[in-house]
Amino acid sequence: MPSRHVKRGIFLLLAVLFLASGCSRPIVRQPGPIPGGPGGLAVGGPIEQDLQVVQTTLKPIYFAYDSFTLSPEAQSAAQYNADILKRAPQFGTVAEGHCDERGTAEYNLALGDRRARAVVEYMVTLGIPPNKFSTVSYGSELPVDTAHNEEAWSKNRRVYLRVSR
Amino acid sequence: MFLQLKKHFFITKVMALLMLMCCVPGHTEPLIIDVDPTLTLVAVPDFVSASPSPIGGKALADVIKDDLYFTGLFKTPDVTLNIPPAASGEPDFEKWMEARVGALILGNFSTKGEELTVEVRLYNIALKRLEVGKRYTGNLKDYRRIMHRFADRVMEKLTGVPGCFSTKIAFVGDSQSRELFVMDFDGHNLTPLTRTNSINLSPDWSPDGRSIIFTSYMRGNPDVWAVDFPGLALRPLSSRPGLNASPRHSPDGNYVALAANINNLPKLILLNRQGNMVKVLTNGRGNDISPAWSPDGAAMAYVSDQAGTPQIYVMSSQGGQPKRLTFKSNYNTDPDWSPRGDLIAFTARVEGRFQICTMKPDGTDLRVLTSAGSNQDPTWSPDGRFIAFVSNRDGRRLIYIMDSRGRIQAPVSPITGKSPAWSRNSW
Repeated sequence: MPSRHVKRGIFLLLAVLFLASGCSRPIVRQPGPIPGGPGGLAVGGPIEQDLQVVQTTLKPIYFAYDSFTLSPEAQSAAQYNADILKRAPQFGTVAEGHCDERGTAEYNLALGDRRARAVVEYMVTLGIPPNKFSTVSYGSELPVDTAHNEEAWSKNRRVYLRVSR
Repeated sequence: MFLQLKKHFFITKVMALLMLMCCVPGHTEPLIIDVDPTLTLVAVPDFVSASPSPIGGKALADVIKDDLYFTGLFKTPDVTLNIPPAASGEPDFEKWMEARVGALILGNFSTKGEELTVEVRLYNIALKRLEVGKRYTGNLKDYRRIMHRFADRVMEKLTGVPGCFSTKIAFVGDSQSRELFVMDFDGHNLTPLTRTNSINLSPDWSPDGRSIIFTSYMRGNPDVWAVDFPGLALRPLSSRPGLNASPRHSPDGNYVALAANINNLPKLILLNRQGNMVKVLTNGRGNDISPAWSPDGAAMAYVSDQAGTPQIYVMSSQGGQPKRLTFKSNYNTDPDWSPRGDLIAFTARVEGRFQICTMKPDGTDLRVLTSAGSNQDPTWSPDGRFIAFVSNRDGRRLIYIMDSRGRIQAPVSPITGKSPAWSRNSW
């Protein structure tokens, strides 16, 4: 179990890398987990005070093409996230809905909106108060992977949870 | 950049002409739909200047030549053809007729400092008469605008409907921050419109051309904003919680239809000029988006996935029972109603890629107009003759224009972009 200081060091390093890599797309900073980032929250523990730690622990929730229903995998990712958010009740959460590049920008806005709301509805059934959530759809405007292939598309069809004070 | 574009333009042009020629023998449809076939060949010799000038006579003639070419209704001679005038000073009609020229455009010009004066005449060779003659004076840098204006008159004389060559297209730039741009319909005079440093989407011109409404994330949420000409001041129009998406002016300019969250679902609503909600137009369990007004303002086509996949529906513009129009593909989006009222253009997924299609407003007579690459976001020109759209067929996402049958298709935007919107008015 790494010490708190080490965890913070790793986080800061990753945060710097993250921000640096984000410079090519200055529009909206992408939240979401960092592979290998601090994971102490996933195994229980006290209420987490550090917003950034909570943020980097949350997982994206992925969707099938043209779909806004939660698959079993998406449900388990939502459950994982709900467990974390329950232990950080002081934070609010914005559910950001995203689509892959295929299809038209306007319909993708509606689809991203439905994905974000589907995640919120599901997490409310898991016991998170609805007033802790807001939603925003980015449609297909902010891909995490800008390649034009199945692998990129599957990463881009997602809902990110962004925590805020 | 510009040179490259011009070259590309030329290649596309040659290919399109070749395709046209190849198509002729077995083609069942007439190639010329609304003009006399004898007018198919239009000669536009280089304009003539009596004294040296900072602008060439070819540059002036080329504006008109390109305009006519885009319509798909006319051909221009492959080589620059010029026949000396007859002794009377009139064109040598007999010789032009021998060269199979149907219409002839002759121009002469002079410059004085920054001032350009052009005289242009359109002759009907078969009838051996002058159809229209105009004299324009303006700033040298506006020479394209002057030539477009005469080309508008040429179309009026040759087809009965004025051209739309003095119109503009707004679109969303594809660079890191998605700013709005405006360009002439043929891609010239590119001008930035916004500097919001945010995502901007779905521009739509007011019918009088005085403002453009669009969705912007400049304050974090997708809200509808207006940018007013000429000062480019921004003002918020709709910032309801959730989506404020796909705004479209009514043809009379008094209302805006858009998608907003009603009981959590994206639904179409109607706003007045001040941005206050007049009514909710759609209900049901689908996501509703992308309204498209009929030109008389009475009906509205839109996209809904209430049947499980995005399809195009039509209803009264006051709401009410929708009728589904599309059934062939499981993805039909982005309707745009022709200003002539006779067709709806839209995007359909065909064999995994997206193509521009048209259909009649009752859903019949489906035509797929594009085939290369992925093609999206159709928008009609105000005369209903052209469709602008986005295509990635040559690797980059550019704005293209084509005639309403898809015979001539050419990239026009000098930068990558999407979401084109064609102005309703001329400049």
